[in-house]
This record gives sequence, C-alpha cells and structure tokens, in this order.
Amino acid sequence: MRKFPAPYPLAFIIAVLAILPVGVLFSLAQDSAQLFDTHNLRVLGNTMALMVLTIAGAVIIGVPLALFTAYVQLPFKRVWLILLAAPLALPSYIGAFAMYFSFGRGGEIENLLGIPTPPVDGLWGAALVMSLYTYPFVMMTTRASLLSLDGSLINAARLLGQSLWGSLWRVVLPRVLNSIAAGALLAALYALSDFGTPAIMGLDTFTRVIFVEYNAFGLSQAAMLSLQLMVIVALVLFLESRIGGAGERPGKHLMLWPEKWQYSLMLLASMPVVLLSVVLPLAIFLVWLVREGTGGFEMSYAWNSAYASLLAAVVAVICAIPVAHAALAGKAGRLMERITYFGFGVPGIVMGTALVYLGLQLPFLYQTLALLVVAYVLRFIPLAVGSVRTTAENLDASLVKAARVLGASPREAFVRITLPLTLRGMVAGAALVFLEAMRELPATLMLGPTGFETLATYLWRVYEAGYFGRAAVPGLFLVLLSGLGLILMLSGERKAEFTISEDSRR
Amino acid sequence: MQRRTFLQGLSAAAVLGSLPLTSRIAFAAAASPVSVDSLPKLEGDLTLYLGRGEGGLYENVLDAIRKRNPKLNLQIRRGGTAALANTIVAESKAGVRRADLFWAVDTGSVGMVTDQGLGQELPKDLTAQLKPGFQYPRWSPVTGRVRTLPYNTERVSPDQIPDDIMALADSKHTIGWAPAYASFQSFVTAMRILEGEKATADWLRGVKRHAKEYAGELGVVMGVERGEVDMGFANHYYTLRLKSGKPDANVDLAYTNNDAGCLVNASGIIALSEGDLPVNFIRYLLTQEVQSYLASEAYEIPLVNQVAQPAGLPSLDSITPPDMDLRKLADLRPTLNLMRKVGVL
Repeated sequence: MRKFPAPYPLAFIIAVLAILPVGVLFSLAQDSAQLFDTHNLRVLGNTMALMVLTIAGAVIIGVPLALFTAYVQLPFKRVWLILLAAPLALPSYIGAFAMYFSFGRGGEIENLLGIPTPPVDGLWGAALVMSLYTYPFVMMTTRASLLSLDGSLINAARLLGQSLWGSLWRVVLPRVLNSIAAGALLAALYALSDFGTPAIMGLDTFTRVIFVEYNAFGLSQAAMLSLQLMVIVALVLFLESRIGGAGERPGKHLMLWPEKWQYSLMLLASMPVVLLSVVLPLAIFLVWLVREGTGGFEMSYAWNSAYASLLAAVVAVICAIPVAHAALAGKAGRLMERITYFGFGVPGIVMGTALVYLGLQLPFLYQTLALLVVAYVLRFIPLAVGSVRTTAENLDASLVKAARVLGASPREAFVRITLPLTLRGMVAGAALVFLEAMRELPATLMLGPTGFETLATYLWRVYEAGYFGRAAVPGLFLVLLSGLGLILMLSGERKAEFTISEDSRR
Repeated sequence: MQRRTFLQGLSAAAVLGSLPLTSRIAFAAAASPVSVDSLPKLEGDLTLYLGRGEGGLYENVLDAIRKRNPKLNLQIRRGGTAALANTIVAESKAGVRRADLFWAVDTGSVGMVTDQGLGQELPKDLTAQLKPGFQYPRWSPVTGRVRTLPYNTERVSPDQIPDDIMALADSKHTIGWAPAYASFQSFVTAMRILEGEKATADWLRGVKRHAKEYAGELGVVMGVERGEVDMGFANHYYTLRLKSGKPDANVDLAYTNNDAGCLVNASGIIALSEGDLPVNFIRYLLTQEVQSYLASEAYEIPLVNQVAQPAGLPSLDSITPPDMDLRKLADLRPTLNLMRKVGVL
C-alpha cells in the first residue's frame, strides 16, 4: 500500500514547474522599493471592479446559454453551439478594438449606416467586452457538467409538480454550481491577466500598469505589481475552492423539445451576443479588407500558429491528467491543482519575462519552440485541468471500484474506465488550450524562436504600425483556424457522448 | 490610394534597385548620401532584434537587403522595443549573446542598452553621414520623428494654437493625449529636463483639466480627426499616414518653437557584436535608397545628410527642436513618478 495517491508525484512536479515563474518574480522584485501607494489603490479598485463585472456578465450570459445548448433540441443544434462558442476563437483585444472603432461619434457604424451610437469605453466598455469573450468559459464548463447529469431527477421534480423553470432552478443549477464557479473563475483570471482590452478601453488595471512599468524599464516594479496581482489571483482561487461539488451517478440525458416559435425566440434572444462578439469584428475586418486590400501575409504564419498551439494543447492535457486526478485524491493534491492555476493569472508579458530569465539558465532551451510550448502550457494548463477535473469529478467512483474488485490493476482501471469516460473533458480542455495559445501574444513575442512569426504576432505588427487593413487576413485566418479547433472540440464531445450512452445501455 | 497601389506593386527588389538617384547627389559630393551600389556585399549569419514592425515597411527594407545579399543569412526577432532591450540586457548578464544588432524604435531603449556598455564603437565615416546633432559613437540613429500638435481643422484655426508648449496648460481647447504611450513619456522627460520638475508638474496638472485620455497616439490623431477633441499631442507620422489614406481628413499639424513640444526623437540601431558585418549592415540603412524609402512610405524623417523630407512635413531646418542628448530620454523613472504624483498615469 502506497502512502500517497498515485498521481501525486507527477502533479507535484508540474506544480513546482508552475510556481517557478513566481519565484523569478520574487527575485526580480527584490531590487525595488515601492510596495504600495495611493495610485495602486485606484488600480486595485479598477481591477476588482472589472473582475466582478466580468464574472457577473459571463455568468448571466453563459449559464442560460449552457442550459440552452445542453438541453434544448432544435434543428442544426451543433451549428448553433459552434456559433455560440465562437467568441472563444477571437482574441478579446480584437473585439475591444472592433467595438471601439464601431461605436461612438465618427465610428464605423455611424460612417456606414448613419446611426449615431454611444461610445463603448472605460470600465463599462471593458466589462462588456470581457463578458462577451469570457462567457464561453462558463458556458462550456457548465454545459459539460449539465450533459453528465442524470435527467431523471428533473423528471421526478416535474412529476412532483415543480414547473420546468422551477426544477431547472432548484434541481439542476445547484448541482452544476461547481462548474459554473470553475467557468467564472476562468473568466475572472482572464479578466485579471488580459492586457489588450483594458488598454484599448482606457482603463487602468494591474496589467496595464505592469505594462507601463515594464516599458519604462521598471522591471522590478513590474515584478512587484505582478506579485500584488498574484495575491488577488490567490484570493480568487481560495474563494473558488470553498465551493464544493458533489459527484453523482451518470444517467439519462435530459432533452427538451420546445415548439418552433419557442426555440426561435430563444435563438433570437441569444443573437445579440453573437452579433456583438463575432459578427461585428468580422464585419469590421471585411470592411477594412475591402478598403485596404491584402499584403505582406504569408501562409507560414498560420501554420506556425496552428503547430505551436497544437503542441501546447497536447502537452497541457497530458500534464493536466495527473493534476486533475491528484485534486480529486486529497487535500495536498487539491493544493497542487490550485498552484497550477497561478499561470492563468500571470499576464503574458510577465510570464514571458520570467521564462526568459529561466530559459537563460538553460541556454539549449532558450529561444526554442520547446520553451514557447512550456510557456503556453504554464499559462493555459488551468483550462485543461478544469475540464478534465470537472468531468472526472462527475465520474461514478464505483465504476473504478468495480473494475478493481474484478481484478484490474489501478493502471488498467485508469486506462479502461477513467480515461475513456473523461475523454470529453480532455478534448474540451485541449481545444480550450489550443484556442488560447492561438491568440496569445506577449509570451510568443518574447520566447518564440527568432524569426518565428504567428498570426497573433503578425496582427500585432500591423496594428502597432497603424495599418489596420492588413490585420484583416490574419484576423480572418485566426478565426478560421480557431473555428476548426472548436469543431474538433465539439466533435470529440459527440464521440464521448456516444461511448457513455453505449455504456449506459448495457 | 497612391500609397496602396505603390505598395501593392512594390517588389522587394524594387526598393533598392529602381529608385532613381537624384541629381542632387552630383553636386553635393562631400556630404552626399551613400548609394547601395557602392557598399560591400554582406555575407554570413546575422541576427537582428527588431523593436518594431511598421507593417511591412521595415520588412520591405530588410527583404530588399536580403535579396541584394543572397549570402547573408539574416534572422529577425521582433518584439516590443522595451521587451527586447530588457532581453538583451538579461542575455548579456547570463553570458548568452544571440543578437548582433538591435534596431530600436525609441532612444530610451537605446540608452538602456548602451548604458550597459553593450554597443560596439562605430567607424567615424559612418557617423559622419548623419546630420549634426545625430552623431553618436556607439549607436546610429536611423530615422527621426518630431513631436507635433495635430489639430482638427474644423474646430481650430492655426493662429489659435500657441507656439509655446507651456502655454497649452491654460488653453481653452480640449486636448487628446496618451500618457501611457512611450513617445509621450519621452516628451515629458524632455520637458522635465528642459523646464524642471515643478514647471512640468504644473503643466501636466493644467492640461489634465481639459484633456481626454487615449491608449495610443494613433488613437489621439483619430480622436482629433473625429472631432472628439480640438487638438492633441502625437508624433508627426500618425497624422501623415492618416491623411495619406484619407486625404480629406479634418486634421493638420502645428509645431511649437524650441521646446519639448517639437522634440525630434529617433529610432536607432546598435551593433552588439564585433566585426564588419553588423557595421556594414548599418551602412545599408543609411543609404540614399533606404532613407528616402522610409521617408516617402513611412513618413519618417531621414537623418542622413541631403535626403529629402517626407511630403507634408516642413524641412527639418524650419522646425526648431530643443538641443539635447537623446539618450537622456532613457531616464524615465522620475518622469513616471512625476506623472503618477499628479495623477495622469
């Protein structure tokens, strides 16, 4: 009998790797004096306000859409799902940019249609954009969990006289609170670590101040601010850990068959979200494309993006499996899992700097694709861990026990029972990492091999120079490739569903 | 429109090959700009850290140099200028050198790297090609940009704009600015050095009362053009590029006189490794062809003697920039503290 659960050693190594960049920050911050001043207080207020509003927005949009996409049966179900998950395929900075130039006096909407619109900027603008691009986190985690719920409980509630909405509210939602919280946590961490959106909307958050310091060669001050940001991240992680989840037996899926007018109405209600987050940026790109034409773009950028992101997705999921299972095995494992979440709260520019310093200690790794993949994995592993864990959590533990009783070794039980049943979470996690890595910018710039150009770095290059028209082709490519990632994620999901329903039939 | 068609039809070779050598070279023999034809061929491996992209314009220059020198294996690493400067310093501390050259967008980053003693000395005949005031022993300016006041032509007439930057603190006009933007911070640094801490703090407080904040100076110029504000603070080329894409734009440029408001700053290149190859590469950037290409296409100010100014900009002689060592602009920390103290950052 072993003293600690099997996944612990691997999870421990990964947790140590994840904490290394924070260690680098500590050593960098030692040069600096200023710990806190009144200016920080304002930044802190802005950051917290943006985070809270983003969580609220992402949950308000994401949860109803999760219910809708998980339970409501309608024609072209998968198309609607892809459409509603599509904001994942766009970097929020592109959305912020498009919205900033569309609305307000002299914006593109007024130019093209002649309709005056209020400007979108400041705290509310940033919160709107953030919510529009983070709700898929909530939607996807909640939906994955909804799909593994036993639908017969709802039927029981309905038989006992509860209305449909009542039973959704009182029977379904409490059981997926954990997944909603997991999604909200990702949204919060995204809001904390995103730089582009607050910068374009003109809101002073930690990331923006860190960026300003960094560019003014205040590396130590930037590191200090990053550590302060880490404290908030730790707080968020702690809060999330207080929300417990209960595992339950998988059972029949719940399916709702509404009337045509009913689902049309629901679809109509969800369209403003898609319009603002997907159609608007695409339309702006097309306008720019027509106005300025293409130029300077090479296919290798798209290939580089896809290649590096795919590697990152695979490695992240492989690393996420022990971490997720360690989290379910005990308290120490839970702590290790929390530690890996730090990466998502570290702004890319800070993670990039920390890994430059680490990479310089290992010159054979420095400026190689391997180090870039490590950076992606460290930043985005929480996405994989989160999806793997939530599906593993909802896995019926007695299945594994039964396998063990029937003589399977722990390894065999894992390979034949746990792994196939958590496949859905793994595919979803890999796809999330893929999509995030595709749109990652600062770490890509700092860590990639010399001359390694991706869609995101090319977009940055032309944006920086003020040639927006040239952003159109790489922007559209980014959306296209990410769309492929999304389709991959959702088709993998279907495969997993099939396996489960086959199992339940036996 | 003209820019676009030009760019589309532009093959990389055309940049260096087909631009006619102007007749001016013939009579200005002593200080005339060098032509690429007279330069030695570049051979070997060279890694360049490029602190800005310029949406293909710098790339066109680099492509042209590659095409002209088939035996040159040029690797380019792109990134934020400050990030690359930090990287170069971190690399040198760790004893790893990957870059042979560093082409930086602002002199602050140049100062950061040369202060660490990482720049190689440049030959005298190379620095002598540059205009007076832009000759430095351990780095070479490539192109310049001047601080300007873009103003909305429908809301303000030129004679309403003071030619003293300090007078704008009490102006009635609304002003767009981008305090978080590196060029603006360099400008405030210049003001701090020229006018002192207190005057700068008062000026920032004064302008803040009627200022609207933007994320970058491109945003400032667009805001001015859209009429969100009357005027703004920005580098000159944003306005010229905006006008080249939209000739009827409601924006024009005004200049102040002999103060930080018309500071001329430069992009610069540093040779980080020894040998002739990096130096000869720099020589290519200072040729007539490259300098006039960057002037006509990126609207940057050529800093080599006898190369014509970009269209839409008065000659460098009629602008009266303050006299200062550009590397002093690397001293950003007190500027940021000051801006933070008065609450504009």
